[in-house]
Amino acid sequence: MRFAKTGVPTLLLLHPNIAYTLELSALLKPLAGTTQTTLALVVLLLPLLAFALLYGWGKHLARKGDWLGIGSTGVIFALSLYLFSQTWDTATFHSRIIWFSFPSNYVADFTAGVRLDNLTVLMLLIVTFVSLLVQVFSVGYMKGDAGYSRYFAYLSLFTFSMLGIVLVDNLLLLFMFWELVGLSSYLLIGFWYQRPAAVAASKKAFLVNRVGDIGLLLGLFAFYTYFRTFDLEALRTLVGAGEWSNGIFSLSYTLNGQPWLVELSPVFLTLAGLGLFMGCVGKSAQFPLQVWLPDAMQGPTPVSSLIHAATMVAAGVYLLARCYPFFTVDALTVIAVIGAITALLGAIAALTQYDIKAVLAFSTISQLGYMVMGMGTGAHDASLFHLTTHAFFKAALFLNAGIIIHAMHRGLHHAHLPGDADPQDIRNMGGLRRAMPLTFYTYLLAAAALVGLPLFSGFLSKDAILSGSWAWAQTMSAANGNSLYYIVPVIGFVVVLLTAYYMGRHLWFIFFGSFRLPFDVQSLRFSVRQEVERVMLLPVVLLAILSLGIFFSLNPLAFSGSWVMRGIGIEVLTPKSTLLADRLVQAVAAQDAANDTAHLVIGILSALLGVAGIALAVGRYRNRGGALLLQEMPQGALARLSYHHFYLDAVYNRTLVQPTIWLARMLYRLDKRVIDYTLEYASKWLVVFAKIVKWFDHWVVDGSVWLIGALSKVLGSIGRNLQNGKVQSYYAYSLFGFILIILYIMLN
Amino acid sequence: MNLILSGLIFTPLLAALVVLLMPTRLQKPMKVTALLGTLVQMALSVLLYLRFDGSAPANGHTGYQFVEKLDWISFSLGSLGRFQIEYFVGVDGVSISMVLLTGIVGVIGVISSWTINKNVKGYFLLYLLLVTSVMGCFLALDFFLFYLFFEFMLLPMYFLIGIWGGPKREYAAIKFFIYTLVGSLLILIVMIGLYTSVIDPQATAWQMNLIGQGIPADANVIRQVQQMLQQGVISNADIVRTFSIPAMMEPANFIPGSLLHVLSGVSLFDLPIRFVAFLLVFAGFLIKVPSVPVHTWLPDAHVEAPTPISVLLAAVLLKVGGYGLIRIVYPVFPDAGAYFATLVGGLGVLSIIYGALCALAMNDLKKLIAYSSVSHMGFVLLGLASLTAEGVNGAIYMMFSHGIISAMLFLVVGVIYDRAHDRMILNFRGLAKRMPAYTAFVVIAFFASLGLPGFSGFIAELLVLLGSFGAPEATGMLPRWLAIVAVFGILLAAAYYLWALQRMFFGKYWIFPELREKASISDLDRREYLMLVPLAILALLFGIFPHLLLDKVSIAVSGFTELVLLNGQEQLNMVLSTIIP
Repeated sequence: MRFAKTGVPTLLLLHPNIAYTLELSALLKPLAGTTQTTLALVVLLLPLLAFALLYGWGKHLARKGDWLGIGSTGVIFALSLYLFSQTWDTATFHSRIIWFSFPSNYVADFTAGVRLDNLTVLMLLIVTFVSLLVQVFSVGYMKGDAGYSRYFAYLSLFTFSMLGIVLVDNLLLLFMFWELVGLSSYLLIGFWYQRPAAVAASKKAFLVNRVGDIGLLLGLFAFYTYFRTFDLEALRTLVGAGEWSNGIFSLSYTLNGQPWLVELSPVFLTLAGLGLFMGCVGKSAQFPLQVWLPDAMQGPTPVSSLIHAATMVAAGVYLLARCYPFFTVDALTVIAVIGAITALLGAIAALTQYDIKAVLAFSTISQLGYMVMGMGTGAHDASLFHLTTHAFFKAALFLNAGIIIHAMHRGLHHAHLPGDADPQDIRNMGGLRRAMPLTFYTYLLAAAALVGLPLFSGFLSKDAILSGSWAWAQTMSAANGNSLYYIVPVIGFVVVLLTAYYMGRHLWFIFFGSFRLPFDVQSLRFSVRQEVERVMLLPVVLLAILSLGIFFSLNPLAFSGSWVMRGIGIEVLTPKSTLLADRLVQAVAAQDAANDTAHLVIGILSALLGVAGIALAVGRYRNRGGALLLQEMPQGALARLSYHHFYLDAVYNRTLVQPTIWLARMLYRLDKRVIDYTLEYASKWLVVFAKIVKWFDHWVVDGSVWLIGALSKVLGSIGRNLQNGKVQSYYAYSLFGFILIILYIMLN
Repeated sequence: MNLILSGLIFTPLLAALVVLLMPTRLQKPMKVTALLGTLVQMALSVLLYLRFDGSAPANGHTGYQFVEKLDWISFSLGSLGRFQIEYFVGVDGVSISMVLLTGIVGVIGVISSWTINKNVKGYFLLYLLLVTSVMGCFLALDFFLFYLFFEFMLLPMYFLIGIWGGPKREYAAIKFFIYTLVGSLLILIVMIGLYTSVIDPQATAWQMNLIGQGIPADANVIRQVQQMLQQGVISNADIVRTFSIPAMMEPANFIPGSLLHVLSGVSLFDLPIRFVAFLLVFAGFLIKVPSVPVHTWLPDAHVEAPTPISVLLAAVLLKVGGYGLIRIVYPVFPDAGAYFATLVGGLGVLSIIYGALCALAMNDLKKLIAYSSVSHMGFVLLGLASLTAEGVNGAIYMMFSHGIISAMLFLVVGVIYDRAHDRMILNFRGLAKRMPAYTAFVVIAFFASLGLPGFSGFIAELLVLLGSFGAPEATGMLPRWLAIVAVFGILLAAAYYLWALQRMFFGKYWIFPELREKASISDLDRREYLMLVPLAILALLFGIFPHLLLDKVSIAVSGFTELVLLNGQEQLNMVLSTIIP
């Protein structure tokens, strides 16, 4: 029968010849806090406090509390610097408590803790630094907004949640902060809640992310079911202790003295790993869930800069880095392919956009695809390196876009043009380099980094990914005898060309030629002497300077000297070789190290592709007049496909959203028309039955009682008539009776 | 003797008596009396919660604390033994959270009832009776006593909906009544069947004069009685049958040859009679949970009930269903519970998805929330069916958490209904502009309900899903795909809540023209803050510190799962041996 097993988990088949040396509960022991972990907690909780104060009392504070948000972020940035100096390449700090537990031998304690290693402190720096700059920028950008203090409150909430993702030491807590990041993103995209488009975009972002979270949750469940813990360090140890034999991953350990023997098929492990990856697909806007990110641009532009370019969307890549040991070779292959597809689709979509933020949004999708592709191809460090460089130059681009949008608003406001010109449409711009030279140069720096021109940061990190993926393709195709693997790095190169092209087009439309709207371009300026509020300038300049390669590698032409990459290599983060895909990663690394000339070729080729892309764009647009550019529309089926992002929204709406709503309505009808109808029908029949019973009661039960009554009445009256008091009658009756008795005797 | 449990049950009843004796015109004092009564009850429940020892060992049929046991109805039936019903109340890890919840929600309900003006005396009388009977349900350990309270909930509820409800109140009230009555009937049948089959070893020992009257029997004597019973050497006249639920949990207390004994061999419709009994009593409680497909009374009852009654209905009355399953159905019929695990879990998943989809189709905010209750109660069934430590703890956590969060949800619906006398989603737009604080609480309540980490609902869903996902390995229950399908419930929950937010609260402010004259759209007042803030804090507190609840609950749950799994396997083999030669 079905109930063959009992309360004893079936995994506990004790194999006498296996040595159970690993005790899980020993791996989950509470760890006392150190100064560093305590400070990390302060870093985590200070923004939460700021959020509570700003949300509750922000309106009553001086300057509506912006100093509180900025001040707290400044403090945590300083603390992060200190933590960085304590941790980077020197030590890891880990503190852990028991969060809650069950009195069961089969369930390990649920722990909670913070852990500081190289990756953590690097992310701490990125998040706090960009958050600080964006908040400073927002003082100018959001000035006079009705929800000014609410805005800073939400930003603090975001900083808190994002830092949580980075700091925590286990996957369950990471998931919790992951969701909170989703909430703050929801709140910030829908910040201008009176705009229907913003509200729709916020809902879409949350729901699409939840689709990814379903996979992430299932992945977590899969690992939890067999490894009984969410603690990353313990999980790494467990996975590292396992062995592959006959294509089965087997692991034995004890939990509270109970032996566990885990035997998992590679398919299961791959699926579980892909579940985790689903989380990344949602949060980091990978194909096929990338549709929410372009819509998310409905949020204020500094938000796009911080959340939807620099930090939150990179959380998926961070997750991949943290879970790297748990991916099988097959899972990594899928990740690489998805990343490549995303990079390509994002870049293609960016080719034809006219909204200044849409170009950058699709570019973000494309670059995130790059990072994910790097992760999938074993270029773990390169991918994280790209995450770092991208955070700075993309944040700079978005903040600059914010400055331009602001300026366009200003100009349009002064010009009183008939009809509404879209301040975000790059067709309405042109020649801004003269009116806004500072913006132009900072934009140029960041754009050069995005395109990946030599000497800029993007060149280093992109090259690292390309080299890694090339080595991966070599290794994989040598191992499997299939050269299709080369498609992934080739897509990488194609994307370089496309990136250069759309950025060239972007720059041309905005800064070159002449201004295309009929008013004086100088009215875009804040004042005669200033093109922008000072408070907005500093963040942009700082970020743009950080687009230079020199800050990341002493030799700005070669990524191999990069201090960042050395610090976040997979072997630095997981000391022992504990990867499920250990052999592949080793082989790729060896191949990469052997690829001496290939590196040079890749570097030169990608630089050439970058230049070629820009040249193509400039060549295409330089001879077109302003009027032509103002009217430009996507021409041809391919361009429209790109412009409408491959109609993914429409497809999803048709195939997923509408059928779900239809199903919902049908089920509700089922409730009303079937379940309730049946009940009402049954109760009607009950009434009919009751009527029949009533009839029965009246005619049969009552009737028979009446009949008996009537009968006895008749009999009574007969009896009464018999007793009439006349002796003759009595004599006649007894004679009659006597005769009857005689007759009876005779007949028998 | 510690009378705290009787205090919990009868304090509201006392308040009801006081209300009954007051002249009708003293409306304010009546409200104050009701508030005092429930406040004392809440204080007692918090006290009980704090004093309850969560670390005391408990293994299913032992481990009850603060027990009160008195003979209530007891007389000799001559050669048929003794008839006895006891006033038997106690609390363990399973009920402690429900007691706390009832205490808290009882007070919130009174505050929410402050605006009731129609027949105040009758209203608070019935309200206090309702709270009494719910509390009694959670504390009773005698099946008859439980049933009495269970039935008694019906009556005040019927009138509270039928008199103080919305336009279609009579329909909703009668629907509620019929559904629940059918459920009670099913439970009654099984209760009688159990009564004929189970003895009270303690009282039997007294009856047999094994020990002196009134002297508590030790474990040896109990075991001796149970052995004698199974050997069939106790004469009929000495058998004392019982309604005691803990006694029913011990297979050794079943009289050999009785209807529900595992070896009775009786079958009905090709099912062993114990399985039939399980299905009957399960269905009885399923109506109360409620689970698809017997859930359609809930949306109607909610829509028509006045706000405080909706709050009480969602927050505590529904919990009686899940509580009954954990307290009675599973421990008494562990064999069938294990055998039908997939059915139970399957109904849970069906409820999760079906309820969520129906909620997506709703235009009435209150109905949407009613369907979301159906969806969330599905998690209780799923977690319970997994029979893992995580799953069952999660089921209880879900009941508690849903109690807090659904109270909030119905309160926020009440807020807009009070102001506009309407709550159709499409009749409002952009309420956030005019009611920012209100919108903030709506967002908190919605996100808490859709399982945002940091709120108690997340812990509940997480534990249930963890338990049910791992159940195939851990306990051999439930196919894996059930948990996988259930996870989609969290996506749908986000969908219906965010869609409602989008349509009703965001965008440009607008309300349906016909509502404008009557409506006075103002933000939250002090009384509403007083209800919403504590609930929000509780939802956060239990979302961040799960051990606050789990430390009280989890030992009893471990006892429960061990009892069900071990007895379940043993009894299932015996039951099946009688029908499969």
